[in-house]
Amino acid sequence: MKDENATIWDTNPLSVRNLWVEYLGERGMVKAVRGVTFDLRPRESLAFIGESGCGKTTLGLALIRLLVKTARISQGEILYRRSGRETAVLKLKGREMRHFRWCECAMVFQSALNAFNPVLRIRDQMYDTIRAHWRMSQSEMRERALSLLRHVQLDPERVIDSYPHELSGGMRQRVLLAMSLLLDPQIIILDEPTTALDILTQRTILELLKSLKAEMGFSLMFISHDLSIAAELADRVATMYAGAIVELGLVYDIFYRPAHPYTLGLIRAVPTVTGDFQDLISIPGSPPDLIDLPTGCKFHIRCPYATDRCRQEEPTLEPYGPDHSVACFHVDQVRRDADAIWEGTGHVAAGEAA
Amino acid sequence: MSVATASQGKAKVSPGRIARTIASNYLVRRLGKALFTVWFVTTLIFFLVRLMPSNPIEVYINELIVQYSLTYPEARDQAASLFAIDLDAPLWKQYVDYMGNLVQGNMGTSLRSPGTPVTAIIARFLPWTIFSVGVGLLISFSIGMTLGMLSAYRRDSAWEPVVSAIGSFLSSVPDYIIGILLLVYLGVRWEIVPIHAMRGSSTPGIQPGFTLKFIKDIFFHAALPIATYVLATFGGWLLTMKSNTISTLGEDYVTVARARGLTEGRITSAYVGRNASLPLIAQLAISIGFVVGGSILIEFIFVYQGIGFQLREAINTRDYPVMQGIFLVITMAVILSNLLADYAYGWLDPRVRIAGGE
Repeated sequence: MKDENATIWDTNPLSVRNLWVEYLGERGMVKAVRGVTFDLRPRESLAFIGESGCGKTTLGLALIRLLVKTARISQGEILYRRSGRETAVLKLKGREMRHFRWCECAMVFQSALNAFNPVLRIRDQMYDTIRAHWRMSQSEMRERALSLLRHVQLDPERVIDSYPHELSGGMRQRVLLAMSLLLDPQIIILDEPTTALDILTQRTILELLKSLKAEMGFSLMFISHDLSIAAELADRVATMYAGAIVELGLVYDIFYRPAHPYTLGLIRAVPTVTGDFQDLISIPGSPPDLIDLPTGCKFHIRCPYATDRCRQEEPTLEPYGPDHSVACFHVDQVRRDADAIWEGTGHVAAGEAA
Repeated sequence: MSVATASQGKAKVSPGRIARTIASNYLVRRLGKALFTVWFVTTLIFFLVRLMPSNPIEVYINELIVQYSLTYPEARDQAASLFAIDLDAPLWKQYVDYMGNLVQGNMGTSLRSPGTPVTAIIARFLPWTIFSVGVGLLISFSIGMTLGMLSAYRRDSAWEPVVSAIGSFLSSVPDYIIGILLLVYLGVRWEIVPIHAMRGSSTPGIQPGFTLKFIKDIFFHAALPIATYVLATFGGWLLTMKSNTISTLGEDYVTVARARGLTEGRITSAYVGRNASLPLIAQLAISIGFVVGGSILIEFIFVYQGIGFQLREAINTRDYPVMQGIFLVITMAVILSNLLADYAYGWLDPRVRIAGGE
């Protein structure tokens, strides 16, 4: 992430610098996010992938500062930019913070099923959202809500008067999407947007996201453990391991030219839809204990390339090729091996669309 | 029965179908069930009160012997002339008579105050119980809800464990113990309240009506029973509300509401408060039923002239018709309030509304 084109970055809606998040646990400090640095570019969609418990969701919550009470952002900076104005999100207070949420940065949560208040109609929850930020008449609010529901391809007149339990999972996910667009935010964070949905519904939601993004021009940051979704939807991908970004690059590079052994491992652990049955190779071991982290590279225990240096020293995220950075001491070796595997088997990452 | 009508009615259709439509209606089914319960409980009570040892005449004879030093035969003659009821009639006949009268709205007359209809006794004393227990319930519910929600929001504070501990302690102490303690300490030991002036449900001779004087007077007389009900029950509301609020605060939709930038006030009332209090409101409706059952012991301790006090009198003198009448009222109140609770819940929670309508 060294500045090659610093001038462009000034228009980036979001810049996160060296962000650390810790939870106070019974056993000690859980280091959930460790020194994360990235930029979210205008109109791009950036995917965060990694195993459960690697700090993806914590990162998302930290950006809108909705962490639980026991969590604390110990250091770092979150800068938000819109129409030439820069805001330090971590310095926002009360009303300003409330305004930042949803107006500037909306977060669509993992479980759309439980995202709605069960005793209020969709209508009222939409109006609640608008009323919290804007002054609008009842008919204007209705007009806006209806138009967004139409955008997510729902029957607006029917849905708006429904209670959440009267809608299917896919419909609720769409309503939540419509709600996230209600105030025209510049950034949308999606946390596992399709995990709870069946495969066909997933597909329609993905198509919908693509077309909405093209039409409305928001920046999308999404969190997923599903590589195929990342491959399909993302412009860039960040691989997270033990609370840190270990590789960040264009989607093509990540899937066809992975340079971190963990990314490579993730890709090889996923079956291809077409193509032959290949050996699926799982990553041995399990993610490290975030309270008592290993020394050196946090991945070295599970890494086939690990050397003494890896055990003592933690690699930082360094540029490797254009728009691609990696935190590994053995990049060249990993690249060579990856190429060999690709050539030898014709292995193609899960999402062919990439 | 409906099978028979259905097969016959194939040509004419209507009667069988109407019967079935009515029978399958949710409301009708609920009402039918309620009526059955009333009948069943009434029957049970009818026989149970007669199974109690002794009977009204024996009790009265004993009283005469003790009070006027009459011999047993003298006392029995006097008692027999007083009681017009024939207790030697077969039980089934008494039952049929009683049910027959009951269907016509006649609960019979009191044995101990001959000529006084049971309905008149209930009409005279029931309002006082409804007033005192009802006010107590509302105060206790409001305090419990407020404190419960506050404790949930401020569960890191120093006073929260204290409030919860007091709440759970008080809710586990029986109300009559609290009543006796209030009486002994406030009334007798420390003489803070004039318990003699507070006896009864109102000062004798005061003009009932919507005057400040009368309202003040009835609150004065009901103060100790109300205080007892509040102390004995608010802890339960508090603990339930606290745990409901804590679990609601953990719901995704509350986090999402925060992410949506809603004001804290709106989240507290419409998102947390409303969902957390749903089960309590159903519980409140059920509690209303027990208002009538009131507290026999509390009314006795404070000599408060409510229905519970009368029930105790009736039990002591084995005044069967009065006992049956009061028990019937209690039963109906509980059943009605359960119906009310169902409807209240359905009205407040749209998910139940759908399920109930099927």
